[in-house]
Amino acid sequence: MIQFEHVVKKYGDATVLDDISFTIEPGQFAVLIGPSGCGKTTTLKTINRLIEPDDGTVRIDGDDISEVNRVQLRRRIGYVIQQIGLFPNMTVAQNITVVPKLLKYSKEDCDKIVHDMLEMVDMPYDQYAHKYPSEMSGGQQQRIGVLRALAASPPIVLMDEPFGALDPMTRSALQDEILHLQKKLKKTIVFVTHDMEEALNLADVIIFMENGKITQMAPPEEMLKNPANESVKNFLGKHIAVDDPSTLTAADFLRTNVVTVDSKKSLRTCTAQMMRSNVDSLIVTDENDKYIGTVSVEDIKSVSGDDLRVADVLKNDRETFRVDDDAKRCFDKLLSTKDNYVIVLKHDDTVAGIITKTSIAKALAERLWG
Amino acid sequence: MEYLTKMIDLYGESLLRNIGIHLLYVFASVSIGFVLGLTLGILLYRSEKYAKIILPVLSVFNTIPGIVFIGILFLYLGMKPATVIIALSIYAMFPVLKNTFVGLTNVERRYIEAARGCGMNNRQILFRVELPLAIPTIIGGLRMATIYTVSWSVLAAMIGLGGLGEFIYQGININRNDIILLGAIPAAVLAIALGLLIDVLQRKVTPRGIRKELNRR
Repeated sequence: MIQFEHVVKKYGDATVLDDISFTIEPGQFAVLIGPSGCGKTTTLKTINRLIEPDDGTVRIDGDDISEVNRVQLRRRIGYVIQQIGLFPNMTVAQNITVVPKLLKYSKEDCDKIVHDMLEMVDMPYDQYAHKYPSEMSGGQQQRIGVLRALAASPPIVLMDEPFGALDPMTRSALQDEILHLQKKLKKTIVFVTHDMEEALNLADVIIFMENGKITQMAPPEEMLKNPANESVKNFLGKHIAVDDPSTLTAADFLRTNVVTVDSKKSLRTCTAQMMRSNVDSLIVTDENDKYIGTVSVEDIKSVSGDDLRVADVLKNDRETFRVDDDAKRCFDKLLSTKDNYVIVLKHDDTVAGIITKTSIAKALAERLWG
Repeated sequence: MEYLTKMIDLYGESLLRNIGIHLLYVFASVSIGFVLGLTLGILLYRSEKYAKIILPVLSVFNTIPGIVFIGILFLYLGMKPATVIIALSIYAMFPVLKNTFVGLTNVERRYIEAARGCGMNNRQILFRVELPLAIPTIIGGLRMATIYTVSWSVLAAMIGLGGLGEFIYQGININRNDIILLGAIPAAVLAIALGLLIDVLQRKVTPRGIRKELNRR
């Protein structure tokens, strides 16, 4: 259990940690998140005393850590840093056993640890144990970085944006791995990130920080449901809980780049316009941009005469919708007719846009998967 | 041919003796200079405050010509090998000290932070992380010190203490170029040979993991 009690840290006039208090339960995966400079990394480094607070107490399992020898303390806390920080002069095996060796484990124990650890992340011992960091990819290096932190089985592991520098694929693979390890080893993990997606994937509890204060501390679901303020909401961004579907309106699915034609235009202009835009029907508006109907290729083909205007052939038999109409009604309509789109109007009867089957599918996908 | 056998008869023995003396000066001064430079380099690296004052002073000191320094020491200590060795040791110390300081300062912060986070104390960080990573630069300093010392050792003859400089001064005095070369060529060969030897040493002591990185640079 990690407890912060009224912890304050100042650099000159700047208050980096402003009276922080919170508790992380044993076995919890806690993620510290917030805009840069919010104090999340400072909070993390306070736990292994890389940074000493000016005021307040940090306790681990009830003991005030300022009374523990800091070198001893750090050997009991795993630490993974942002830029990996594997020692380039040491092999994988030597890197993994840095802490066990500091703790004076026997050579046999160290060997066993290297075998066990590499096995845990499916990196064959014979292939990797004697490689140097420079001979491996970034993802492999950070896997070893994590193993180094776990090697002496510390109950607490601190991770400072460990996957920040990795490509998205490797990153999500490592996230899965760390979750798996956490489940298996039941560590208390404190993890700093600025990536909300990462936080939502990993956290049992998210601690959102801003200007050296904790804005909100809550499980991911809770935070999504009830973000404490605007900046939490902004950070959650696209991940924020999907609104109740019954409140979605036509406006949520609009395609606004639609091709319209003035009813006074000649059919020739109208046909040219269709060809240019590669469509087979156009929305017709009057001189005030108000909707008056549609015109299709078939409509034009069925008449002849050079002096005909769009107004002469337009059809006005379509049901139109308003921007604040229930999205489900538009959707039902779209599925029940042969038309490829439905027309949505603003309250002044000008055209707001159209809803196509594709735009519905796209908008739904965006809401579901971000 | 006749000339060569004559030269060997006349100078062979003293050439060997003087190469021996020369090497002795080089090894003694470089060893002492290396230990001093390494130690001071580490100390200065550890205390930034002093480094800011001491390093500039040292580099001014470094510009004093060796011949002047040996002359001054000679006044105080007299005609003893110690005079030469002390002077040369101090000159050998400079490049080692500077490179040790630079090599340590250039160790990336992340490695030190990782080491500290793993629970290493300062001594462990120094010996397990900082020094191994600085080794290539430190050996570079040793190489410079050795090559410089080979040429500076010529100055020993100035106060009558032998070494390959003896031939050079003698040659100048009696105006014989072949005698000057008898000192100059072995000195040059020594400098090159010792430089190569240290290159081999550098490859041996550089941790394998950072050798590749170095080659890439």
